Amino acid sequence: MSIASGQVLSPPTSARRGRLATSLARLRRQHILFVLATLGPILLLFGVIRVYPILETIRLSFYNYHITQLRRPFIGLENYARLLDDDSFLTALLNTAQFSALSVVITLTLALAVAILLRSIERAAPGFELLFYIPVVTPWVPAAVIWKWIYDPMYGVLNLGLSLFGVPRLGWLQEPNLIVYAIVLVSVWKLLGYFVVIYGVGLRGVPEELLEAAELDGATAWQRLVHVVLPLMRPIILFSVVICTIVCFNVFAPVYVLTASAQGAPAYDFKVLVGEIYQNGFVFYHMGYAGAECVVLLLCVLSLIAVQLLAFRER
Amino acid sequence: MRRRSVLTSGLTLGAGLALGGIGKLRADTATSGKLAIWLGYGETAPTYQLAMPAFKQLYPNVQVELLTFDLREFEAKLAVAVPTGTGPDLLALHDFLFPRYYESGSLDAVPSDLAAVAGDAKVFDPTFTTLVTRDGKPWGVPWWTGRSALFYNLDQFKEAGLSGPPQTIAQLWEYSEKLARRGADGNLTRAGISLRLTEPSGGIQKFGYFYYQMTGQQIFEPGKQPGMVRVTLKDNLDIATQALLDHVEHLHGPKKVDDWALKHDAQGFANGAAAMFFREAWVIPFVRKNGPDIHMGVAPMPRDKAWGAFNLVEILSVNKDSPLKKAAWDLIRLLQEQKYLDNLLETSGWIPLRKDRDFSGFLAKNPEYRALMEEPAGYKQYVEAPDTAYQEVTARTGEVILAAYRDASLLGNRDAARKVILKAHDTAVPILKDAGIYEA
Repeated sequence: MSIASGQVLSPPTSARRGRLATSLARLRRQHILFVLATLGPILLLFGVIRVYPILETIRLSFYNYHITQLRRPFIGLENYARLLDDDSFLTALLNTAQFSALSVVITLTLALAVAILLRSIERAAPGFELLFYIPVVTPWVPAAVIWKWIYDPMYGVLNLGLSLFGVPRLGWLQEPNLIVYAIVLVSVWKLLGYFVVIYGVGLRGVPEELLEAAELDGATAWQRLVHVVLPLMRPIILFSVVICTIVCFNVFAPVYVLTASAQGAPAYDFKVLVGEIYQNGFVFYHMGYAGAECVVLLLCVLSLIAVQLLAFRER
Repeated sequence: MRRRSVLTSGLTLGAGLALGGIGKLRADTATSGKLAIWLGYGETAPTYQLAMPAFKQLYPNVQVELLTFDLREFEAKLAVAVPTGTGPDLLALHDFLFPRYYESGSLDAVPSDLAAVAGDAKVFDPTFTTLVTRDGKPWGVPWWTGRSALFYNLDQFKEAGLSGPPQTIAQLWEYSEKLARRGADGNLTRAGISLRLTEPSGGIQKFGYFYYQMTGQQIFEPGKQPGMVRVTLKDNLDIATQALLDHVEHLHGPKKVDDWALKHDAQGFANGAAAMFFREAWVIPFVRKNGPDIHMGVAPMPRDKAWGAFNLVEILSVNKDSPLKKAAWDLIRLLQEQKYLDNLLETSGWIPLRKDRDFSGFLAKNPEYRALMEEPAGYKQYVEAPDTAYQEVTARTGEVILAAYRDASLLGNRDAARKVILKAHDTAVPILKDAGIYEA
């Protein structure tokens, strides 16, 4: 009987379960459809604009691909092998590394120092942050043109100022030993404001009570910075180092404009990786070779980011 | 049913393609549409604009789109657009770009009447006819040249007690030493001659000006086989070494006549910061506009073993894929007329190549151009070797030479200078080999 009643009762239960499952499945399907409808176009666009060009660049790097030549044979790793003997590429790699190291260290150290100083004048800080941020929104090309005039050896304001202290005329963009520092200075001027704002946000997130507790325990300002503030800002610093490294490794516009010769033709007096990629790809039309340089740049940046992630790992 | 619809679609598509093909054939002589012209030398645009009313009378339904770009941007856009069939209808090509588009089959054959003109020695110097001719046929019409000359500051020459421009390369260096000026701090304030110290392609070209006069050859000479290029640096190793040593000697040490920190080229000359420099005809309107107080003299290139002027030639061709070929050729015909050539000369400073046109009125009013437009006996006109790898080979070889200019340790060091020349040679050869145009 119980079996019978159980048999009588069981169909409605399983039917309910079935209906529930169907509803859940429908809901899940609708959810997936909703997600696809909302994120799909963005993912598609991301695929077309970001992923496809990267994959295509990697593919091209294995070909002898010249824009104006119909024959584009597969050459395996030959482009990569040639990079090892290419003086221009190796110089550009070295210059880019030197420029990036100097720019990242100086920009981020200065930005942190400025952000900490601004914390001590909390009410005026937004105004100063705005001032520091102005170069960030100034487009690279006009900014570089202005700096080119500042650096001008004969008529530039920098040499004029230095001459008041007896410093002889310097060719900031003409002397191979000076040009890297000149470009680093422009880069620091341009990027500083962005990281001042980022660090400012990070510093505001440090709980006041922790700083007060440390102060009560007799910690000096330096000790509070090193043992309280910096450890708490580790994620912000990591983010800044990664972003700044990426931006600096991709430097091109300021170098291109600052080193343009009198007639406006690119002088390439200071070779950087993206400049070499531009020259090989869009001046000499060696797209395959430029592709190999792009892959090396990608690997360099990824390796540096991996090292930075490891260095900043929570222990 | 499905099969039938596929068949129908196929037939429709085939018919469409066939009609499209016929349409395309007919469109070559179309009298309506948009005729695109792209220019890398924007200063010639006013001449095209001046020709528009006359062109519009011939083709009232053809809209002309005239776009000017920065030179390098123009070259890059052309390289991408022409092979993909999206390039301009009229191709205004500099002589070093011309071989690339001829070899990729992108050029339309020149109509017979214009071909006769292009091949006529009374109309064009044979040097320029050769430049556009392949397999006995011209593939473009030479239009203007950027001929090299020596520009010098008359007032500064007078101040240095020099009565006229240097006649030889040796005199050029000697005069430059007399013309250079130093400030109280010992730094140069005026270059005796503004050398090309940046931008490698331009650097090797200007080094080549000295090299040509000293050797009678260009660094990159046309090979015996059409389209091939020879590197002559090893053939003239001692002279090339001397040319490099001359430059180094005048950039470092007591005979220094130029410095990287000075304003260079036409800008430096227009500012009075350079007493002499080599450049092309466009400098005349540039200096008139930007240095109105400068009294400028223009002279033929100084001679040595040889005597000649370098020519950068602009060639007018038509894109083989253009639906408006006839209209484009008619515009090129118009641009050969005296009125437009006068305008080209007056507005851009580039020199028209037609020998059968009369520019005497212009020369009477603008005597500076005489050194550029009149050819004394024995003064040879030479052009770049047709070179599909021109930009790469000149940029990379130029980098070697410009780096050597900076190296003061080369001062009087013949062995080291010789090594630089050999390095420049060895830099050029693999690039030409890669491009398949190297001739040993």
